[in-house]
Amino acid sequence: MLKTTPFHPRIAALCKSHAWRRWAGYVVASSYELSHEREYHAIRVAAALFDISPLYKYLVRGKDAARLLDRVVTRDVVRASIGQVLYTPWCDGSGKVLDDGTVARLDESTFRMTSADPGLRWLEENALGLEVAIEDVSESTAALALQGPNARAILQQVSESDLAGLKYFRLVPARLRGVPVTISRTGYTGDLGYEIWLDAAHALELWDALIDAGAGHGITPAGMLALDLARIEAGLMLIDVDYVSARKALIESQKSSPFELGLGWAVDLRKERFVGRTALAEEARRGPQWQFVGLEVDWNSLEHLYAELGLAPQLPGVAWRMSAPAYAGGEQAGYATSGGWSPLLKRYIALAHLQSRWAAAGTLVEMEVTVEHRRKRATARVVPRPFFDPERKRA
Amino acid sequence: MSRSFDAIVIGGGHNGLVCAAYLARAGKRVLVLERREHVGGAAVSEEVFPGFRFSVFSYVVSLLRPEIIRELDLPRHGLHILPLESTLTPLANGDYLAQWNDHDQNRCELARHSLRDAEAYEEYGRRMHHMARAVKPLLAMAPPDPASLDPRELLGLARLGAHLRGLGSARFHELCRLMTMSSADYLDQWFECEPLKATKSASGIIGTLAGPRSPGTAFVLLHHYMGELDGVFRAWGFAKGGNGSVSEAIAAAARSWGAEIRTNAAVARVRVEGGRATGVVLEDGEEIHARRVVSNADPRRTFLEMVGEKHLPADFVAAIRRYRFRGSSGKVNLALGELPRFTCLPQGGAALRGAISISPSVEYLERAYDEAKYGEFSRRPYLDMVIPSLLDPSMAPPGKHVMSIFVQYAPYRLNGGWTDARREAFGDAVVDTIAEYAPNLKSSILHRQVITPADIERTLGLSEGNIFQGELSLQQMFFLRPAAAGSRYRTPIQDLFLCGAGTHPGGGVMGASGRNAARAILGEAA
Amino acid sequence: MSARAVVIGAGANELVAAQVLARGGWSVLVLDRSAAAADGATDVAGWVAPPIVRELDLERHGLEIQRPDPWVTAPVADGARLELWNDVTRSAESIRRFSPNDAARWPVFCEQMSTLARALETLSMAPPPDPMGEGIGALADLGGLALRMRRMGRQGLENLLRMVPMPVADLLDDWFECDALKGVLGAAGVLHLHQGPRAGGTTLNFLQNHLGCAPGVFRPALSNVVRVLAALQGIEIRCGVEAARIEVREGRVTGVTLAGGEEIAAALVLSGTDPRRTLLDLLEPGWLEPESVRTLRGMRSRGVVAQVTLALDRAAGFSTLAIAPSLDYLERAHDDAKYGRVSQQPYLEARAEDRSVHAHVQFAPYALAGASWDEAQRAQLADLVVQTLDAHAPGLSAAVTARRVLAPPDLERPFGWPEGQMHGAEPALDQWLWMRPTPELARYRTPIPGLYLCGSAMHPGGWVPGACGYHAARQALSDH
Repeated sequence: MLKTTPFHPRIAALCKSHAWRRWAGYVVASSYELSHEREYHAIRVAAALFDISPLYKYLVRGKDAARLLDRVVTRDVVRASIGQVLYTPWCDGSGKVLDDGTVARLDESTFRMTSADPGLRWLEENALGLEVAIEDVSESTAALALQGPNARAILQQVSESDLAGLKYFRLVPARLRGVPVTISRTGYTGDLGYEIWLDAAHALELWDALIDAGAGHGITPAGMLALDLARIEAGLMLIDVDYVSARKALIESQKSSPFELGLGWAVDLRKERFVGRTALAEEARRGPQWQFVGLEVDWNSLEHLYAELGLAPQLPGVAWRMSAPAYAGGEQAGYATSGGWSPLLKRYIALAHLQSRWAAAGTLVEMEVTVEHRRKRATARVVPRPFFDPERKRA
Repeated sequence: MSRSFDAIVIGGGHNGLVCAAYLARAGKRVLVLERREHVGGAAVSEEVFPGFRFSVFSYVVSLLRPEIIRELDLPRHGLHILPLESTLTPLANGDYLAQWNDHDQNRCELARHSLRDAEAYEEYGRRMHHMARAVKPLLAMAPPDPASLDPRELLGLARLGAHLRGLGSARFHELCRLMTMSSADYLDQWFECEPLKATKSASGIIGTLAGPRSPGTAFVLLHHYMGELDGVFRAWGFAKGGNGSVSEAIAAAARSWGAEIRTNAAVARVRVEGGRATGVVLEDGEEIHARRVVSNADPRRTFLEMVGEKHLPADFVAAIRRYRFRGSSGKVNLALGELPRFTCLPQGGAALRGAISISPSVEYLERAYDEAKYGEFSRRPYLDMVIPSLLDPSMAPPGKHVMSIFVQYAPYRLNGGWTDARREAFGDAVVDTIAEYAPNLKSSILHRQVITPADIERTLGLSEGNIFQGELSLQQMFFLRPAAAGSRYRTPIQDLFLCGAGTHPGGGVMGASGRNAARAILGEAA
Repeated sequence: MSARAVVIGAGANELVAAQVLARGGWSVLVLDRSAAAADGATDVAGWVAPPIVRELDLERHGLEIQRPDPWVTAPVADGARLELWNDVTRSAESIRRFSPNDAARWPVFCEQMSTLARALETLSMAPPPDPMGEGIGALADLGGLALRMRRMGRQGLENLLRMVPMPVADLLDDWFECDALKGVLGAAGVLHLHQGPRAGGTTLNFLQNHLGCAPGVFRPALSNVVRVLAALQGIEIRCGVEAARIEVREGRVTGVTLAGGEEIAAALVLSGTDPRRTLLDLLEPGWLEPESVRTLRGMRSRGVVAQVTLALDRAAGFSTLAIAPSLDYLERAHDDAKYGRVSQQPYLEARAEDRSVHAHVQFAPYALAGASWDEAQRAQLADLVVQTLDAHAPGLSAAVTARRVLAPPDLERPFGWPEGQMHGAEPALDQWLWMRPTPELARYRTPIPGLYLCGSAMHPGGWVPGACGYHAARQALSDH
């Protein structure tokens, strides 16, 4: 049967929509209210509270912990400072992305790794011969994300220590109304936000504390539909939607390298050995064939396609996740993998894989849209990711 | 002597019927001769006890090839396959292991036993998917003979070579390993959970007198994934009405294209004149002529009994004599007054609707095999059970149930031979084994039917009671099934063909032999 | 000065590899763990293949091959003995006393097996065929191999394809009826293998033990090849040193560090140590991709043989004695091993020399269930051997003055046999040809440029001493 997260009793009571979905074997709320709109706007104007417990979490400890993670992921873990969080992909031996997630250095020899897919076996296989203990804490660790401009104020209310100094992609141990947690300044919304990691036993206590403290700041429990829109605005990719893990790919062309996903910045070729290095060094030399870009669909073009049939433009209020071919120069230049109408930017945006020659910002391509049962092509412009990048995210 | 046919098919088992249907569909005048009172061979459903219907002999789960379902349009002729969603392995400690079709449910359950295995399972599934894709074209091809210099064989070999090289190194090597390893050794590389390894490796031993640690048993692991490959066809399941309804659907399809099917018509011998098969002689002396004779009987019966050694080359006769049957499984059919209550599942539940496997550890299976090696039936055998009445209520009176139990090992060559008393002792061993996991079983049994390899041989005419018409071992596969000169469905006798499971790809892949044989015959006729 | 190559180990494979490298212009250093070169190097079993004998001129340097005659003596009921000789007719006469049918079939059987063994000899004397090899060269190699195989004739090739995967019990049941005969022949099918005679692929092992033998002989000959090789000039052998780590920089091999800490620079390293130890223990972790590590860990090298030596106060009264009275006996002996026990009734093959008896005992599994190889276990095994032999060589037990037991763990260190397995990787079907020891390593190369494997875990295995080293060194030469 499906599992429920440690916050489920609260979430079930609040979930008026009865709109549930699966995430990594857990049942989670798509939206709490009948429409996800208010939850989405809370991310951008107040604070949204997400249950992100279904993420896989591993504690890696021991003398060789840094060495192990350094070998597995593409970024330099050995040089990460205590309290630093690295967002990073990791690859198979051929340099194709298996998964992406975070590696947080809790102390000299302890790390917490999060991943979208289970990764215990991969870590253990790489750990052969190393002095390191790997513990799957996915079920025993609960996690919440508090995202939005008011997130800091809410947390500060319940925190016994000062959080003002906590910088982007850093974490700190803290007590929130007595509950021991670690707080990382990370998130999946591209906004000011925090993720809070704690022992599952205290989950409800913390939930209640945050809801209580956040009441005056507009805290809003939010579901996956709101999160999906926000992460597209932030230009963040989603495994199984925007790329296929090399582990699950059925054919070679379904796999992607970090360079092809725009994660070249996270590949540290100065490291002597890590999984996939040989192939990645070669690709870095050659340049990737694909790139992962943002697309903005041209309003006039879209309006025209609908107008031809006597209709007003119909916009995707919920993020879509199918594959839409993109064309340029009379050929298929690539495909968009997720997209939707950004209520904030008032633009129709999408994330797309384009062959490198069509991927420069400003390039015009055509994206397939279905208008009243007919396949049409709307003009779209390649734009840099993220689409939305407020200063408060890092400030 | 009366009328003449384009082809006579000896034996109305599913392969014979499939072959006949394809021939009839191509416009041939076909006559199927079945010894028993109904068609189906090992795939029959019978009302063994009033109100209780069983797939009497065959392994309950159908692996009918989806192209056959599609090309013969079997659903229109009454075939309805119900999916089996799970496999339950009860354990001695009161726990259980269940494998589910649903990904999340499966992962959750496996993680209870081993987090590593829960992860490895998905990767294993993908690997098997790739392997099944690699093997699928081989199932539908007439296996080329690498020892032959015939240009056709060489062409076939070149095609096979190109296919194998096209797989790429990793998949080719994996295929080589699957062909040569034991299922337990192969699974040891993936999993640590004993009941998981045992339940999976059990599929490698079915129909063969081999244990899970015997090399060559890994290949059959793929059969489970062939069904998945066919996506929506979901050939892996239970046929509504039992496996007899599969046979009846194929027979109906064959008749719809004009094939004639005669039951109670036992063939005594194949008429051979001047090195050609010209027809058959029935046991009552009736002669029927045909341009071709296609035998769905096993190779030993076909060649040594129906054709006769005098018409065959000595080498070939030696090869057929060498061909091994060694039936090693039996069947127990139970009519139950109530559902069995497994100690591990006191509330019953969905897992009872799937397969239930008594395979707690590899060592359990291996020990069961040890007894059979030396001529005894396993006192604690491997059992694969289903309760068809939970899926299809028409199989039993309302509120009552039927339980169909495939049992391994029951060696054909039992020390002292199979007698009525030994048969009952064998049945007792099976019931005692299940009762260890479901204590109410004994008191809920209304009727019991026990079938030994000797019974299978006597009733169905399958040599040594092997339901696959010969062991599925490496030296009896591909162009060596049943013998080099008799592969490709042809035989040393012109116009005599084989279409049974004793030809490539053999038992466990239902209907493929019959279809391939029909294609070979039609290719020649064209 | 020529570039330096280091060879780890000083067995037949390593020494042949060293010679081939030296002749290819390398300055070769052999690292020998034992105290003195070829000191007490015992005779090794196997076929010393003619190309190696010729190329290294081994005959002139004193190569001696022992072919015991009869090669096997097996007690049969009532004090009768089945003896098989190097001469087919003479063996047939011995067989006739037990089964005239079998005697009549013996010459045909010997001829057919001999034909198959010739084909396997051809396979042994080339690197493993590479069905996935790229380029015209690889295809030509495959084509050439196919043609050579076809020379066996239709029936021969068909027999090879049919028999190689067969259980040796099925093969022998097809031919013979005499249990004693099938027992001693079937033993060749399970020699050093963690399988009983009913397991698929044991016919392959049976045929491999026939390599280089006269028709009708199914035990490898013994030779002094290691002593002869160790005495050859042109290479440097350092004794009493052990390689502790293989050094890699920037992905390439750069040398070997000894247990004492001394580092020896080398552009080429050939390791006769088994692949798992070489790549997982001698290399720093992290150089191998996890997929490779996984496959390597899956490689099977389970030892099942113990060697027992008895000192006697008189001559043994036999020259060879094989206790393998039937296929079922062998199968039951293996049944015990399956569950981690020493065979209660083991298969024994004893050879007497002056006042001592050397017994090959199978099955004695490396890993015992719920026990370990302590002194009590060893003593129990010695008792079992003495008692079993005594039944057929009366009075033997009273004549024993000393006993020495080498259980699989005892064979691991001195001989470098992983888990006591002399073939390095079990001689099973799935670890044969291009899958030996794993597909990735089958061409003697490793993922580390400059590091090669040359031990018996490689193709063609321990049946052909020196051949793994020969192919490995030639591969290394052609790469450099």
